[in-house]
Amino acid sequence: MSAVIQPGQAPGTTTATAIATGAVSGSRLAVRRFLRNRLAVVGLGVVVFFFLFCFLGPLVYSTDQTHTMLQQVNLGPSGSHWLGTDAVGHDELGRLMYGGKVSLIVGLAAGILATVIGTLWGAAAGYAGGWIDAVMMRIVDAGIAIPALFILLVVSAITTPGLTGLIVILGFVSWLVPSRLIRAETLTLKNRDYVLTLRAIGGTHSRAITRHILPNSVSTIIVATTFQIADAILLVAYVSYLGLGVQPPATDWGGMLSAGLTAAYSGYWWLILPPGLAIILVVWAFNAIGDGLRDAFDVRGRG
Amino acid sequence: MTATQGTAAPSAGPILELDDLGVIFTTETGEVPAVRGVSLHVSPGETLALVGESGSGKSTIALAAMGLLAGNARATGCATIAGTQVVGAHEADLVALRGRTVSMVFQEPATALDPLTRIGKQIAEVIRNHREVSAKDAATEAVELLRRVGIPEPEMRATAYPFQLSGGQRQRVVIAMAIANEPALLIADEPTTALDVTVQAEILDLLRRLAVETGTGVLLVTHNMGVVADFADRVAVMYHGEIVETGAVEDVLLRPSHDYTKRLLAAVPRLSVAEAGRPAAPAATTRPDTEPVVELRDISVVFGRGKGAVRALDGVSLAVHAGETLGLVGESGSGKSTASRVALGLIPPTSGTVSLFGTDLAGTRSRARRALRAGIGVVLQDPVASLDARMTVGECIAEPLRVHRRKLSAKDRQSKVAAVLDRVRLPRELARRAPRELSGGQRQRVSLARALVLEPRLLVADEPTSALDVSVQEAVLDVISELQDELGFACLFVSHDLAVVQHFAQRVVVMRAGRVEEQGATGATLLHPETDYTRRLLAAVPVPDPVIQRGRRAERLATLAAGRTGAQG
Amino acid sequence: MSTSSYLIRRVLQAVVVIVIVTIVVFGLLHALPGGPARGILGPQATAQQIASFNHEQGLDKPLPVQYFYYLNQLLHGDLGSSYTLNEPVSQLISERLAKTLVLTALSAIVGLVLAIPLGMWQAVRRNKPVDYVITTLSFIAYSTPVYFLGLILVLVFSQALPWFPSQAPQGDTLAQVFSDPLALVLPVVAGAASMIAVFSRYMRAATLENLSEDYVRTARAGGSRSRSILWRHVFRNSLTPVIAMLGYYVPVLFGGALVVEQLFNYPGMGLLFWTAAQSSDYPVLLGCVLVIAIATVVGTLLADIVQRIIDPRVKAGRA
Repeated sequence: MSAVIQPGQAPGTTTATAIATGAVSGSRLAVRRFLRNRLAVVGLGVVVFFFLFCFLGPLVYSTDQTHTMLQQVNLGPSGSHWLGTDAVGHDELGRLMYGGKVSLIVGLAAGILATVIGTLWGAAAGYAGGWIDAVMMRIVDAGIAIPALFILLVVSAITTPGLTGLIVILGFVSWLVPSRLIRAETLTLKNRDYVLTLRAIGGTHSRAITRHILPNSVSTIIVATTFQIADAILLVAYVSYLGLGVQPPATDWGGMLSAGLTAAYSGYWWLILPPGLAIILVVWAFNAIGDGLRDAFDVRGRG
Repeated sequence: MTATQGTAAPSAGPILELDDLGVIFTTETGEVPAVRGVSLHVSPGETLALVGESGSGKSTIALAAMGLLAGNARATGCATIAGTQVVGAHEADLVALRGRTVSMVFQEPATALDPLTRIGKQIAEVIRNHREVSAKDAATEAVELLRRVGIPEPEMRATAYPFQLSGGQRQRVVIAMAIANEPALLIADEPTTALDVTVQAEILDLLRRLAVETGTGVLLVTHNMGVVADFADRVAVMYHGEIVETGAVEDVLLRPSHDYTKRLLAAVPRLSVAEAGRPAAPAATTRPDTEPVVELRDISVVFGRGKGAVRALDGVSLAVHAGETLGLVGESGSGKSTASRVALGLIPPTSGTVSLFGTDLAGTRSRARRALRAGIGVVLQDPVASLDARMTVGECIAEPLRVHRRKLSAKDRQSKVAAVLDRVRLPRELARRAPRELSGGQRQRVSLARALVLEPRLLVADEPTSALDVSVQEAVLDVISELQDELGFACLFVSHDLAVVQHFAQRVVVMRAGRVEEQGATGATLLHPETDYTRRLLAAVPVPDPVIQRGRRAERLATLAAGRTGAQG
Repeated sequence: MSTSSYLIRRVLQAVVVIVIVTIVVFGLLHALPGGPARGILGPQATAQQIASFNHEQGLDKPLPVQYFYYLNQLLHGDLGSSYTLNEPVSQLISERLAKTLVLTALSAIVGLVLAIPLGMWQAVRRNKPVDYVITTLSFIAYSTPVYFLGLILVLVFSQALPWFPSQAPQGDTLAQVFSDPLALVLPVVAGAASMIAVFSRYMRAATLENLSEDYVRTARAGGSRSRSILWRHVFRNSLTPVIAMLGYYVPVLFGGALVVEQLFNYPGMGLLFWTAAQSSDYPVLLGCVLVIAIATVVGTLLADIVQRIIDPRVKAGRA
């Protein structure tokens, strides 16, 4: 029964399985886990598809999205207009590409902006601790207490922002949730043994933050960003509905959808289903990717 | 409570029989066999200890015998409990078996109980799983069981939630659940590993008493040779998923035949015990002349404010001198870790002074204080959490250089890292590897290398080996003491393990509930302690020799009984 | 920590949050074109009228002084007057707040009652077809803008299949609103959809986490059946963190109500807010924001207290 024991084997090799598992690098393992999550892979495919569709699609399927063409309004799908035309005669398929650009760019930028603000705020609060943390988190509580849609509607009553303004506004109404996540992460990381060791031998706070806490929060930040982008794209869809969206002739999927709302009762389904489904698919896809990334990185947070 | 519906019917055969049992785990990197060709048996009334180091597969066997393996594990071969085959059995058949014919006690009492259900109800649930008893009768029986496992005021305690009990009491509750239906077999998986030694001794006494009372067979899974010597009749030694040696406890522990068993036993630190009549060893290692490297004077630490405040340290004074190792021992909650963190400057004392290398820390500015700390090296307990997984081993070790020797060129830094890797006897190539690829013992040596790269005057080691297997522990401790001889640093060594401290430290400080109970030269203090507490602590440590341990146990129980009657009288 | 000292601390926190909210709303009031004077005098007021009003009302004083003046008004229940409806804002809101609370509460209850068993079912059938299907549906529900979902609901269940009215019942009193329960179905469903999605995910995660806890193994070792472990132990342990999340979800519910009320013409605060936004009725807008924020803070507070009641560990200040 003792055949497998090699005499003279050094102590410390009993964790053979641990070493065998360790041979695969952490990031490669994460990629493998992600790819095994079928929903996440489909989500990635959907996102890639819509980016190609919106940014390269117009090169293949070229349409006029600036001039109104009153002789061809509300036409149903046909050979010349695959998805029909809208109330001012724009080709609906071309408009889906055109509006998609705005939705994707604003959503991406606002989602990233929100995560950046939230990361800085949350990391500062978590690392500082004590009363600074308490004050900063009460401000976050206050921000969360006012629903974003209400703030956006108030803003829309005051002003009509441009594209950049829109991104900034959306970023500033949605940084609160990521700030909570990052704060929680920072709180655990700053008490990790390697950070304690660094501080005990006289390492500075800035070294602890830049060399240990932020690099180790990267996976949490990436996951938070993905969910934040999903939420931002959804929020962009609300923004036009609330009357804060980009001004015609420019548009986005939310704008197309709210413009088509009344037309839907007249049976012009092609005016609402394509933009509606596009929003759902893209937001769904980013959520699925975020879910897959979270499982792959083994990060906690958001159900 | 005697065998009203006991299933421990005295039958001829063994109650547990494993025949060519194998377990394979399906992991992300492929199939890993954890247990191979294991055969053993447990007869009614006997205790078989299954010993081995981490990863040897001993706990997997315990779970396989219960049919409780995780979803990614697959068992082959035979495991029969009272004649019922467990491998491949239907869940419904297993449900009838578990908690009635066979029960289990787990390692971690902190998480083994449902936090939201009162303990009396949790015990009653096990009773009612197998017997047609009214809720009221089950509740009464649960109180009786609590009394039997030694919970004081069981009527009141039955309505408590798990978090309201201490770790030892929670383990008693788990045991009460396990014996609720008088099982024929009890499987105990590291039942005392998470507990302090004095509590461990009580729990082992309880398990032994219950096993004797009911004639229950026990499969005891443990890594602790002292526990084996204290409790087992027979021993099976596991290594890499196989049993390498089986025999009576005296034979295996005193006359091991297999190489691995010999190595394992040689690595176990043994507590030297005073034999009656021998005089105390001369205390040779007192150094009153030199200035201490680090000194805590009358330190108190209070966490929180108002009514909820906790006094973690209360008037603690201690000093460590150059070249010596001071062992700081105590049970959980004694404040030993807090004291080491005060010495490190991580926890500011509420009152008292800390001086490091002759400088009062409270009086120095932050820049000067940081410079002072270049003379400190730190090794903490957890081999995983101690190293940043995002850095290479080389970067981890070089971090103190980057903090304090900023002008060092990359080349010089690398050569210093290589040199210190040599010192801790790790191959230089490891510098480019990720911590994740290293074993626990290797990681602790990397932590040690990081601690020593600046050639510190003080090394603070907080339980540096308690997460390691004994064979690995020995290697790490050897490296520390050799380097200490070479470099002459002072070492503050925090540990719960009296045997390790006895071997490793010249002086010892015994802490209890935030205070220093006693201190002195290790030889004198741990052989001839002055306080009752230290005596009790030492008496509770099981030694890995069944003959000696039997004597110690009798002595300890006699002392306890005398103490009780003395208190009553 | 005792329950009473916890309560005191928690309420103090809530008060601090509300004070910060008033500062934000006060800031918005001053960010308006023309400032609060325009807000009160209306869009037609001349610069001269504004100047004299500012002087009269002390609006030319330093901002901190004005803030305390504003806070004093708030404490007396004075939220200003709507300049389109000629009524005190506080009265406008109090008429509609109850209706909005009822709508959101109904959505929340429907959402939770469906989400919790769904999440548990998914956890038990992890990585089986059922799990994938519900996960996909959850993500779709979460990804659908409420107004689009509402529109689809109306097109399908009101126009194509004439099962439910497309408009919420009208009326000033709650009783009138409840006179036609069928008419409440579509608004409640639209409001509950994303909640079902989010909370089934939470419940799934919490259940999975609890299923891998040691106490489940202990119960199995004691001979308890999986089903009984699930309902006796895992269910309650998983529910506690989900209840805690409920507090954070209150603002999302109110945000949803804003859209649902507009879409179904439900006479609550959301609709009031909406019409006020169309006519730039600033006093009403800011009054609503304030009331909604306070309702959110109170909702979060209640969720915390409920969690404390069901989890004995929190009561002892250990968790």
